[in-house]
Amino acid sequence: MMTNLENLKIKLSQEELDLLHGSQGPTMQKVMKTVVLYGEALEAGRLADIEGPGHFVIPWSSPGIAPPIELLEELANAGLKTKFPFTLDPKPPFDFENLYVRPEEAAAIEAMYRNQARYDELMIQLGLRDQDAYTCNPYQPDVGNIPERDTILAWSESACAVYANSVLGARTNRNGAIVDILTNIVGKTPLAGLLTDEGRKATWLVEIMTDNLPNPQLLGAAIGMKVFEDIPYIVNLDRYLNPELDAETTDFLQEMGTACATYGAVGLFHVENITPEAADFGKDLLDPGFQTYVIDEHELQKLLDSFPLLWTDENARPERCYIGCPHLSLRQLYWWADAIHAALKIHTKNRLEIDTVLCAAPKVLEKFKEDESVYFQLNEAGVKFSPACSETIFETRLCTGRPILTNSTKLRAYTTARFLPDEVLVEVLVTGKVD
Amino acid sequence: MRKTFTGRAILPANLAGKALVSRRGFNAYASFFNSLHDDAKSAECADSGNTDLFGRNMTDKIICLPKTSGSTSAGAVWQRVAGLGVAPKAMLFAHSIDSLAAGGLIVADIWTHHRICTVDQLGEDFLSAVKDGDWLEVREDGTVTIISPQ
Repeated sequence: MMTNLENLKIKLSQEELDLLHGSQGPTMQKVMKTVVLYGEALEAGRLADIEGPGHFVIPWSSPGIAPPIELLEELANAGLKTKFPFTLDPKPPFDFENLYVRPEEAAAIEAMYRNQARYDELMIQLGLRDQDAYTCNPYQPDVGNIPERDTILAWSESACAVYANSVLGARTNRNGAIVDILTNIVGKTPLAGLLTDEGRKATWLVEIMTDNLPNPQLLGAAIGMKVFEDIPYIVNLDRYLNPELDAETTDFLQEMGTACATYGAVGLFHVENITPEAADFGKDLLDPGFQTYVIDEHELQKLLDSFPLLWTDENARPERCYIGCPHLSLRQLYWWADAIHAALKIHTKNRLEIDTVLCAAPKVLEKFKEDESVYFQLNEAGVKFSPACSETIFETRLCTGRPILTNSTKLRAYTTARFLPDEVLVEVLVTGKVD
Repeated sequence: MRKTFTGRAILPANLAGKALVSRRGFNAYASFFNSLHDDAKSAECADSGNTDLFGRNMTDKIICLPKTSGSTSAGAVWQRVAGLGVAPKAMLFAHSIDSLAAGGLIVADIWTHHRICTVDQLGEDFLSAVKDGDWLEVREDGTVTIISPQ
């Protein structure tokens, strides 16, 4: 029976045992108990020291999704703080003017996040890096939470954990909200799963047999649904992506990884000749008993066709579009600027037919807005920019079933928004018509 | 027909209830998405991607599943649905518990004092044997007995 602390299998140091027995007070004792039982559940041999800043999944005070204020106050009142300063997922959607929300949605958002000011204060007390440290793309150069390879971390946000593991080569398990803060306060995380060499072996060989670079969000969803929580070793993407991990490659991998994590529970993927461990060890990363999954255009089309349309009126004219779940990089902002500009030109229009929002980190948006001509042009076309998380708008339940579009398979998975691939979406934004 | 399986009791309890079976990964965040508000009276599965459970009431049921999947936001969801009284009675995992479910369920137990009985490592055979509506008896030593409806 696992909750009996007398019969633990996990090996604890004297310092850890002292914490478990209350050497630093009752709150730290409760924190340590949670971390130890978490380690025991994951069958960790011991706890490992956390070596770098955290990135956590919940920046919002909305009840049910956020850690309860009472819990955070208990931690803060005990003077507890994370070992390293952390970054957080995107800000709550308070910038109503940027998000095309209706007045009733704005009122519901204000009510839902009524404790946000207190929540923000507590996050700073508990170790939040600064007021701009809010994004689900924290490894953008302008944000700067970029762990080095092999650094032991305890991150949450599934999209970020899979990126840190796969593209940066750091080591973190997929920690959930609340346990993320608690492990980073102790400065220790269970040595299990993706923190170990054995836990980073691939059990799936995924062969990409498409004629062109596939849509990363569809590809990630397909992989996630097939391999679930296993680790895929993906081949043939190096036909289309630069092994030097340039911005185009890292953006692709970020989108793909986000979808892998959403549709399955993938915490790590290897891409042959591209991601650091695959570049070093190649197919030695494959477990001998691996299974194979072949992905071609037909497989991706089948997946796209399987997404149900959850709009109340299936034939409604789209009213809004949210792009940037996960947050866009600077390169992606420019991609959308160019694509929208080109499509408007083809249709001899100046303005999009659908209210459109591009979401990105505060620091990335700040940099993009420095390019005044491009920014002004997009503004004139009806595009707005927000550092918020579009998904949170749906938590009011006032958007449920409304004709809202997205380029995100993640947003589609959690809401009633309709997914369209980027190139199709641009056309729809300009014409206002969906086939 | 009675069939007994033995797993590992992570959050032990003695209880009985009706099975609700997810043959695929249970996305806790998506499943409880519509059940987190203050006036939630029950938890109907909101995950349209889970054809086994979509629209089904999960409150007080015993969810049988391989593992959980999806967003790490689910960590806080467990303590919320437990606190609102709309949580499942138990979570029975065929495989070893995943980090997301482990963290969320343990936090709910220690910090909000609401136990959702949790047993893992029940095996694929368990998931093959159990059917929706089966009556299940769960013991604190991690044994689970399936009692099929007469």
